[in-house]
Amino acid sequence: MIESTNAPGREGSAKTGELLLSVKDLKKYFPIRKGLFANTVGQVKAVDGVSFDVARGEVLGLVGESGCGKTTTGRVILRLIEATAGQVLFEGKDVLALGKRDLRAIRREMQIVFQDPYSSLNPRLTVGSMIEEALAIHKLASGAKAKERVAELLTLVGLSPAHARRYPHEFSGGQRQRIGVARALAVDPKLIIADEPVSALDVSIQAQILNLLKDLKKDLGLTYIFIAHDLAVVEHISDRVAVMYLGRIVELAGSRPLYAEPRHPYTRALLSAIPVAEPSRQKERIVLTGDVPSPAKPPPGCPFHPRCFMAKERCKTDVPLLREIKPDHWSACHFAEEMS
Amino acid sequence: MATPVLEVRDLKTYFYTDDGAVKAVDGVSFEVGAGETLGIVGESGCGKSVTSLSILRLIASPPGKIVGGEIRFEGVNLLDLPDAAMRKIRGNEISMIFQEPMTSLNPVYTCGDQIMEAVILHQKVGKKEARQRAIEMLRLVGIPSPEQRVDEYPHQLSGGMRQRVMIAMALSCHPRVLIADEPTTALDVTIQAQILDLLNRLQAELGMSILLITHDLGVVAETCDRVAVMYAGQIVEYANVDEIFHHPRMPYTAGLLGSIPVLGEHHERLKVIPGNVPNPSEFPSGCKFHPRCPVAIDRCKSENPELLEIRPGHMARCLRAGEVEAGTLDLARAFAGTGEVAS
Repeated sequence: MIESTNAPGREGSAKTGELLLSVKDLKKYFPIRKGLFANTVGQVKAVDGVSFDVARGEVLGLVGESGCGKTTTGRVILRLIEATAGQVLFEGKDVLALGKRDLRAIRREMQIVFQDPYSSLNPRLTVGSMIEEALAIHKLASGAKAKERVAELLTLVGLSPAHARRYPHEFSGGQRQRIGVARALAVDPKLIIADEPVSALDVSIQAQILNLLKDLKKDLGLTYIFIAHDLAVVEHISDRVAVMYLGRIVELAGSRPLYAEPRHPYTRALLSAIPVAEPSRQKERIVLTGDVPSPAKPPPGCPFHPRCFMAKERCKTDVPLLREIKPDHWSACHFAEEMS
Repeated sequence: MATPVLEVRDLKTYFYTDDGAVKAVDGVSFEVGAGETLGIVGESGCGKSVTSLSILRLIASPPGKIVGGEIRFEGVNLLDLPDAAMRKIRGNEISMIFQEPMTSLNPVYTCGDQIMEAVILHQKVGKKEARQRAIEMLRLVGIPSPEQRVDEYPHQLSGGMRQRVMIAMALSCHPRVLIADEPTTALDVTIQAQILDLLNRLQAELGMSILLITHDLGVVAETCDRVAVMYAGQIVEYANVDEIFHHPRMPYTAGLLGSIPVLGEHHERLKVIPGNVPNPSEFPSGCKFHPRCPVAIDRCKSENPELLEIRPGHMARCLRAGEVEAGTLDLARAFAGTGEVAS
């Protein structure tokens, strides 16, 4: 087993089993180039020191506004983007250090479902050949056996085996997202990183896909990292939730405690900003002033302080670290204890 | 309700394509009272955006055409007006903000120029005064240091700021009616909260009516007085916001309300509306919702129900709405089979 001293612990790790993935101090800086010789003039700190653990069988939600680094985090874990620094341990293996061959092997264990079901499926391939391709690359099945597996996968995600002969344009958004899920499941992965899997879908279709993901998790014993901007969706599906802001995790806790007693002002503002489908409920809304600052020029001190309604002098200079303020509840706010 | 400022009667907008006529909007009627916010809610392809574009006669023709109905603005049918008269209304009496602030601002003009254009055109004022107006408007919508921002280009602003510029432009001539087509969909939640607050404040200050087009039931609940739910080109339920959320009488509305995850409520599974959102080119026969409806009966396959008043001020398009009203049919339970409550 790997020891994880600096990574925030797992709530309910005892009941959900052992550690599957451990991310330690992950960083991804994109250079900003300018001028004739493309000199590097600065850096966008898209992910700036992110650490978390994911236990086998759990769903970790990664939530935040656009530009907070949630998608980049997911892609760096899969090495679709190379990290600048840090460690990603999958079942103890250091993913970021793997060679080409080992990387391919480990990608069988970790799959991704993308946001946009329109652009993430090859329009020139039938659904069947798309899924067979995954099977062939990983040498899992071929010929009649592959066809059988495709039929099985399509049934699993609520489509019919006959759909294998059709092309992506013949399907609606929700059906396409089911195909995306089937393709990810083809190689029998342990971990699925779902990057905004329902945000491009109609309201009535979102619920279908969320239920499907929940059922599959239970039936196949999957583990998810569920990336989304919609807190209600994340709360619904996740066991634990990490809230990101400007490339860092600002709060990490079990999904219920996070929503019931948020311990970071940003989480509180996010929660209060969500419009509630209940006309008679008068809620007190914390309206944040200003926009999310650019990750190329993050403010000094606490990155949230210019928009924070609780900010004090100290926040302008001291960077708050993510710390455990009570068992399994982590917050990166100097005044987390005072919030309750 | 106050006297209607805008009245839409039996609006029909069809698109003529190679596959035949697509009835994108098929007999839609509603009214918007003075100072009121009416929400039009529905999923993709239900005709909500085509309805809003039809009001301003912005439907590209061909392939689109308003084939019937009336759009009465302060008593005048806009569909009878010559183009020149229509131009005097557009952006002046009725204006519109769009979903994508990035694509609906002109990238080669400054924000100030774009606001001034409408003011100079409609209010017959000089350049200097128009610029002053533009700065005032930018201040009104909460843009910091408007004297500088007025000379900036759209790409220099963030998404939330661009949407504020759009709103400033739309409100620069003090319209009676503002049509807001998914004004916050492209924005982050914290920015969405700012923009919704702003719209509410401006509505109170300027006394305009708002027609809000959205798919987000949360936004509807927080901003609208009355709601029209659209499905497959028709209004299927029309009532005040409390009625819609607490006493839905049309299975589609009930299904939609059940399928959204609610913060702080923990269900193992969500209730779902089975099937897919229908494509406008192949709407089903009879009641257009019947293939997805858990309480559909044989008659629903052949009869398209009318939009009827089920209780005072509450209209629903469903053959079984009477049973729901009488309490003999429980819509919440009808969708319950699709998901169960865990805790």
